[in-house]
Amino acid sequence: MMKEVQKKDRQKGTEHPISLLADQVYQAFSGMGFEIGTGPELESDWYNFYVLNFPKDHPALDMQDTFWIKNAKGNTSEKVLRTHTTTVTARELEKASKEGRLPAAFISIGKVFRNEATDITHEMQFFQIDGAMVGEDISLADLKGVLTNFYKKMLGENTEIEFRPSFFPFTEPSIEVYAKFNGKWLEMMGSGMLHPNVLRNCGLDPAKVQGFAFGGGLDRIAMIKWGIPDVRLFYQGDLRLNQF
Amino acid sequence: MKISYNWLKWYVPEAPTAEKLVDVFSYHLCEVESMEKRHDGDSILDLKVLPNRAHDLLSHQGVARELASFLNIKYADPVSKYKIPESRPTKLKVEINTDKCRRDSARIVRNIKVGPSPDWVVKHLESIGQRSINNIVDATNIVMFDCGQPNHVFDMDKVKGLKLDINVSSGEEISFLGGAQKELQKGMVAIYDAKRNPIGTGVKGGTLAELDNGTRNIILQIDNFDPVSVRKMGQALNIFTEGRKRFENDLSPELIPYAMRELSATILEMCPEAVFEDIVDVYPKKQEVRKLSFSAKRISEILGLQVSDKEVKDILQQYVYEYKYKKGVFEITIPPMRLDLVIEEDMAEEIGRILGYDKIKGNIPKINFKPKVNETYTKISWARNKLLAEGYSEVMTYTFCNKGEVEVQNSASDKKFLRTNLADGLKDSIKLNHSNAPILGIDKIKVFEIGTVFKKDKEQMNVCYGDKKNITEISLDDFYKTISSNYKLEPRSYSLEAKFKMWSQFPFIARDIAVWVPEKVKSSEVEKTIKENMGDMVIKGPELFDEFKKGNQTSYAFRLVFQSYDRTLTDAEVNEIMNKISHKIKENNGWQVR
Repeated sequence: MMKEVQKKDRQKGTEHPISLLADQVYQAFSGMGFEIGTGPELESDWYNFYVLNFPKDHPALDMQDTFWIKNAKGNTSEKVLRTHTTTVTARELEKASKEGRLPAAFISIGKVFRNEATDITHEMQFFQIDGAMVGEDISLADLKGVLTNFYKKMLGENTEIEFRPSFFPFTEPSIEVYAKFNGKWLEMMGSGMLHPNVLRNCGLDPAKVQGFAFGGGLDRIAMIKWGIPDVRLFYQGDLRLNQF
Repeated sequence: MKISYNWLKWYVPEAPTAEKLVDVFSYHLCEVESMEKRHDGDSILDLKVLPNRAHDLLSHQGVARELASFLNIKYADPVSKYKIPESRPTKLKVEINTDKCRRDSARIVRNIKVGPSPDWVVKHLESIGQRSINNIVDATNIVMFDCGQPNHVFDMDKVKGLKLDINVSSGEEISFLGGAQKELQKGMVAIYDAKRNPIGTGVKGGTLAELDNGTRNIILQIDNFDPVSVRKMGQALNIFTEGRKRFENDLSPELIPYAMRELSATILEMCPEAVFEDIVDVYPKKQEVRKLSFSAKRISEILGLQVSDKEVKDILQQYVYEYKYKKGVFEITIPPMRLDLVIEEDMAEEIGRILGYDKIKGNIPKINFKPKVNETYTKISWARNKLLAEGYSEVMTYTFCNKGEVEVQNSASDKKFLRTNLADGLKDSIKLNHSNAPILGIDKIKVFEIGTVFKKDKEQMNVCYGDKKNITEISLDDFYKTISSNYKLEPRSYSLEAKFKMWSQFPFIARDIAVWVPEKVKSSEVEKTIKENMGDMVIKGPELFDEFKKGNQTSYAFRLVFQSYDRTLTDAEVNEIMNKISHKIKENNGWQVR
């Protein structure tokens, strides 16, 4: 009897599927030469929007369903819960530019927030993968290669991806990335070539460097890969979720 | 933007089937949210027009022009078919007294008759989900959905002084069409008559000069407003209209003459007796003609695809761009509606999407970059692995809660604060998991979360771990200091094939059974008997949780957890199964149920 109890006590705990998947994502991108980046969840509107070429008072801001933070009196700085981890990409690019570390590539995974009603595919908090690569001659072809390799690692060797037109203020051209999983094309990520204004805002010279950026939900990959039916299951603190 | 296939065909008679158009749009223009086949044979495509093309594509003509160019088929330009009414001199005056209005065109039309619309108008409007109101109002809507320009019609006899004054508000009341009474804020732009009564705005028209069945004389009025002022006004007054949507996405003032011609022709068709007066057009600052230079070489570098001068020339010709070519550099004159084309990269997108991004072949770049180790990520990984090794399981809980030090301005939920600790969420998690302990097969629930908490002046990454009795929460930095330097991270392996199994939403019932058997009988033999008789409602077990010897006998205790995916099990039916198991066990010589 004592033996049993001791064994049970020493049993390893189970890991949250999002953490497990995040590690796989980091491994995949580390293998392609990306550096891991992290940043704050409570952000300035500069890093969440304006550094990324969002014009003030533009309908594109509506795409984000932002949680704005209530200001303390007399404080004019606008804070938001980050709506994407492209904030981290911008911070890392800015740092790399200051330190003269070019070419460069960054990957980050972090919690992001959207102010919208929740249902089986929508949650107010979820995890996003975001990354970028900049250099003299980084192109959309490189983006396609990197993401193809990534999705094969995530969803299996037979996975294909395709590019469709899209719009984001921070990329030009802008691309929607679709992946074919079990015979169906699924919307996976937004991406594109970093807009020259974003490069300039990060202290880079668009005449000398160019690069791609991409970002998409990690929860969504987890749901597709493992067949998890409801995004809200990730945040209930329910250990029945930890099956892998 | 809902696009009627039949409407579209007026302008692109050679268009392929609606099904084929879905592919064309998806791969070369924008997402098609849905396609609905109507019983009258029309198909409705709901296009998710991208913000950078909302200047020209929130219209049937805009989409038709794009299609005609892309497919290199005929564009049946409607402009030449519009009847231009004879026109008389006018006494109407228009003044623009704000820089938030970039152009205003207006004209008087007398002797109209308000009545039902012609069939084609009703059909067009209904196909895209709009209701027919009367011929004149319908004409304004047809023009907006056809060429993209919002426009107003006022009852001339209700407009004081035959004058339109586009001006900023000093806080007047306005009664909007549909009945909402609002106060215009100072600085908002409105259309006033000579007595400074507000009769319309960029977000919605007013009721002061609203048409009624007896209306005989009208003023057609078309503006171009500054997009930001319209957006702010719409947000402040909480008004969402098709007109606002178009204005806030920015329209070219050059669109106004087209819209005026179409509106006039449509009203002339509806009211052949109508008498038109001259158009008054105030356009203080003409939209500048912009040029853009780019090279096929630069576009190739951005796309990572070799694009030739010939391919670029073909596209420019198909899209009817005016251009010059000199030594590898194209210089185009940007069409007035294409406000999205500003820099060379915009042309890379234009050429890329038209050629098709499928032409780009993937490449994994090798770059000369030495990634550094990320400290935060390292700390998180170590903390997680240490706690997992100590038997703690990982959970994630919500950042939002009912009280805290940082509050969001507005939220779709009632939880408006950001958590100041992880412990509260963890307590709930422990409680929840305790009630599920038999299913989880764990005696002692031990959980942890690594996550961000928010204090007044800063956010901090914390580590929180514990069980029913004790919960510890410290900062990640402090937790990391407690990890001994000889602790090693174990490499992990993943299975790609694993699949998630959703649990049942119905309650479970856990039962134990202990059996005395002769010393030499193995637990697997007892397990086999239980399995053969337990039915198909057992979701966990039989699990051996206790074993000991006494004399020449051994006791094995097993746990079984019963649960159904489609109903609540009763005690009685589980008792019956347990009785059956006991009975079968007793059939063996020397086996006894304790």
